[in-house]
Amino acid sequence: MSNLLNYIHFPIYSVMVLFLGAFLIVVLGKNKFLRHLIAVLAAGISLACMIALIKPVMLNGEVIAYWMGNRVPAGGYAIGIAMEVDALSLFFGLLISTAVFVSCVYSVQYMSHDENIPQYFTLFLMLAGGVMGLVLSGDIFNMFIMVEILTFAAVALTAFRNKVYGALEAAFKYLVVGCMGSTCILAGVIMLYANAHTLNFAQLSGIIPGMMSNNSVKIAFALLFVGFSTKAFIVPFHPLAADAHGAAPASISVLISGVLTKSGIYGIIRLTYFLFQTMGLGSFQFLLVFIGCVSMFLCVTMALAQHDFKRLLAFHSISQIGYVLTAVGLYTAIGFSAGIYHALNHTLFKGLLFLAAGAVLHETGTTNLDELGGLSKKMPHTTVLFLIGAFSISGIPPFNGFASKWMIYQACYEKAVESGNIGYVLVTVICLVTSVLTLASFVKVSQSVFFGRLPEKYENVKEVPWGMRLAMGMFAVLCVITGLFPNLVGKFLTHPAATAAFNANGYIDAMMGEGYASSALGPFMNSAQNVVFYEAGVWSPVSWLLILCIVLLAVTIVAVTGKYEKVNALATGEPDAKHALFFSGEEAVYSQVGGSDLFWGFKHNWRHYFSFMHDLHSGILNDYALWAVVALSLAMLFMLIVL
Amino acid sequence: MSVILNALVDLGYILIFPGFLFCFLCGMLLCGIERKIVARMQKRVGPPILQPLYDFFKLCGKETIVPTVANKTVYLAAPIVGLAALVVIQLFIPVFNFTAFAGNADIIVVLYLLLIPALAEIFGAAATGSPFAGVGLSREMVTIISCELPLVLVFLAVGKAVGNAIGSGVVFSLQTIAAYQAENGCLLFKASMIPAAIAFLLTIPGETGMHPFDAAEAETEICEGMLAEYSGKPLAVYKLSHAVKLLTLTSLFVALFLGGLGTGILLVDGLITFFFCVVVIICVVALIDASTARLKIEQLFKYYWTVVSGLAAISLILAWFGL
Amino acid sequence: MMTFNYIASFFLIVLGFYTIITKFNLVKAVIGLSIADYGVNLLIISIGYVPGGTAPIFTEGEISQLSYFVDPIPQALTLTSIVIGACVTAMSMSLVMKLHESYGTLDTREIRRLHG
Repeated sequence: MSNLLNYIHFPIYSVMVLFLGAFLIVVLGKNKFLRHLIAVLAAGISLACMIALIKPVMLNGEVIAYWMGNRVPAGGYAIGIAMEVDALSLFFGLLISTAVFVSCVYSVQYMSHDENIPQYFTLFLMLAGGVMGLVLSGDIFNMFIMVEILTFAAVALTAFRNKVYGALEAAFKYLVVGCMGSTCILAGVIMLYANAHTLNFAQLSGIIPGMMSNNSVKIAFALLFVGFSTKAFIVPFHPLAADAHGAAPASISVLISGVLTKSGIYGIIRLTYFLFQTMGLGSFQFLLVFIGCVSMFLCVTMALAQHDFKRLLAFHSISQIGYVLTAVGLYTAIGFSAGIYHALNHTLFKGLLFLAAGAVLHETGTTNLDELGGLSKKMPHTTVLFLIGAFSISGIPPFNGFASKWMIYQACYEKAVESGNIGYVLVTVICLVTSVLTLASFVKVSQSVFFGRLPEKYENVKEVPWGMRLAMGMFAVLCVITGLFPNLVGKFLTHPAATAAFNANGYIDAMMGEGYASSALGPFMNSAQNVVFYEAGVWSPVSWLLILCIVLLAVTIVAVTGKYEKVNALATGEPDAKHALFFSGEEAVYSQVGGSDLFWGFKHNWRHYFSFMHDLHSGILNDYALWAVVALSLAMLFMLIVL
Repeated sequence: MSVILNALVDLGYILIFPGFLFCFLCGMLLCGIERKIVARMQKRVGPPILQPLYDFFKLCGKETIVPTVANKTVYLAAPIVGLAALVVIQLFIPVFNFTAFAGNADIIVVLYLLLIPALAEIFGAAATGSPFAGVGLSREMVTIISCELPLVLVFLAVGKAVGNAIGSGVVFSLQTIAAYQAENGCLLFKASMIPAAIAFLLTIPGETGMHPFDAAEAETEICEGMLAEYSGKPLAVYKLSHAVKLLTLTSLFVALFLGGLGTGILLVDGLITFFFCVVVIICVVALIDASTARLKIEQLFKYYWTVVSGLAAISLILAWFGL
Repeated sequence: MMTFNYIASFFLIVLGFYTIITKFNLVKAVIGLSIADYGVNLLIISIGYVPGGTAPIFTEGEISQLSYFVDPIPQALTLTSIVIGACVTAMSMSLVMKLHESYGTLDTREIRRLHG
């Protein structure tokens, strides 16, 4: 029995328990209590398994190679199916299982008004299991299978509330373009197999870098790259994400933005850092940084033009993924750790924001920014939690978005100086400007949803149930913790993961036996980079704490000593004129600036750009498919010319 | 024992110099001087220099009227948070060779902390639910976006210029910039930094909401916009924040471009900094304030993203090629 | 002989994608997806093919150095891939039905409530 509790089994447990839960809910899901218990328990066990692996994998630097049925490699050939967990996989596994767990807790009360809840939880756990399987797998065909499972579950869940405006449409578009991506992945996998005659990821990583002159390998790379890009929703696949996030239930939006996109990023990292090992090439760094910057800027401007809360968040999601991709594409230790730190933070704050959007939807029945307003008096907790998320994503110190963005700027600018390439200065500027535009759009959201005037039809809105607030609170606490203690995050999570990413040989050797990497790769072996970490700036919590105390004190003083008069309600129920709003003598006709017109001064100067972008995102499936095919062709051309 | 002592010293920094007290007095003085100078330029007598101080205490004695539709917590907390952020920046800005909180002093941090006062004002205004505040906050946010690009470019240019000179690639630390200037003289006298300095000076009126960039406040048009519903102590704190922001931005200018003229004696250095701030205020802010009329918000945006950013970009490119 | 297979599979994949791009009918988009999928399946099976090889079915002790058989792994992969393809078709057709119910049309140019 104790043998089964050995930590080497934990990866398979954390995947299996989710799938097992999915099947159990199909059987036992009629009972409400049992259904919720199974779902939360499955997500919880999965998270616990991941946390238990922190010590051996992150701190001791072990790489867990787990062969199904103990079919270890024979004669230098991997025969069995394997799972491989290094620090990078575990990092993504951890953030995924955290998001899954919190979202699961939230779902329990959030979905209570819907029909077919057992099916929801089954699909939910399938999606979670698919993503976990993807990041923990050590076999490229299994990665494909998991990609299919998660695409399927995500599509079904997007269409789950099929009465919602546009849900079916979003699901169909996502299905078609997503399956084009999956087809690309499958074709890429099989072309690699044709060249290397193995499907094991580590062995492929040992063989493929030596074959890069072969054209079919280059094509395979392009196919896989585009395939995983569709999963990460980076430009030009961002319209799908926007549609899908907007239509899906909020708890699923959390998974799509926090988990699905991360799995795509994970795939891209595995391809570029491990399988093909092309990150050393300047042109390849340029590719990733370019895509990242375009995603970052284009999506943040698209977000500024949105009228729907969740659709706006969806565009921000891609914008933040752009940050991650840019930082990862720099190919420096600090850049990489900044990138995955931002990935972690993005999961936390975007999860929080989506849950807040879900709370608003749950209570008011709409997410249209032009209809909402003034909810802060009715939903004070949700407002505070939303503000924490909004400050985090806009990078306001001391929340977590600031810590990671700070590192990203530092990394970009250092890269610019090191490489002497002035283009990276532009990258830094784009990063910083995107950040302030992000802030602007969250000012817009808070003004038009939580502050401003409360429309009369929402007079009876109440705070959401405690279970949903609990889930949001978990994300909020994590946002603050990861923002205040970047050193701890670095020590336990990002630095080991970054070290692992720069140590492809260690990954190969752990799987295929010591010395395999050097013998297989031969002259193509990149010596493991010496990864040096330093803090981009030291954050001293003590001085912040002092300031916080003084602020609290000052607020209390002002609040207590201020002279207040009791508000005298008139007989009509209206407040007296003194405490009413000032309308400069006009009749009290209220006209709020609509959410989408809030930044008129900015938009006016960019009107041609905005109208062009609006026309470009036509919503026609054929256009999006065309973008995908063009992206694929460009990727193939790029690979053939550059590599 | 030493922990307590350090904490006390920190507390002293936060509360007295260069924290709250220093900010309070110098900010108010600067504000008074600015008003006086503008009045003289317009051939008016103008208020006494201590007028902002009198206003502050008078406002503190007034009743605070919280509108019934407002979110009281946010309404009351916003001014304080904004002020605290300004004080924090002041703690990070080196006074020649002295920095209260060393190690935290980084240009990027300052850039982000500079957002907080405006942001606090925006959220406070949003919490009142007033339509005037709605228009005001919209314009304030656009002003922030406008000023951000030139500021970023200026900071990157300075970082690169200092990095070039001391041969370590790039420097974002304000302390290192101060140390560099102490050895090699002011950055203002470097040819490549002059456009950046001008760009920074032009952003000061925008950040502090002076003419012609005061579309967000526009008393005659939208009743002071974001402050429309504020009264009593919170309003006093806002007025103080505006004054402190003037001090913060000018002393940041001094730290970035006019460093290296210190004497090493803290008190004297503080006075010299203040003197420079006054000079900057008189020569630039007051002059622009007195001689221009309000721009429309879209003109403001265009101006900052073309003219001022262009200046800063020239500086960055010059610094890049080591001039 | 295999060259012909590769060309055919390439042709099928391109044809499938071409269908998705140019046809404005949802059902045709689904057909396009299936065609692309068949193209990939053909590619997989062609890669595993060894001219003159036998079926890779052996019992204990039967296999030897002289055994000459086609690569079994791609065949297993193809099976998986076919199953997935069938699922994609089923799922997308059910979505098409629902879409037709709520939009009353199958034209992609009219199914664009979400845009901009």
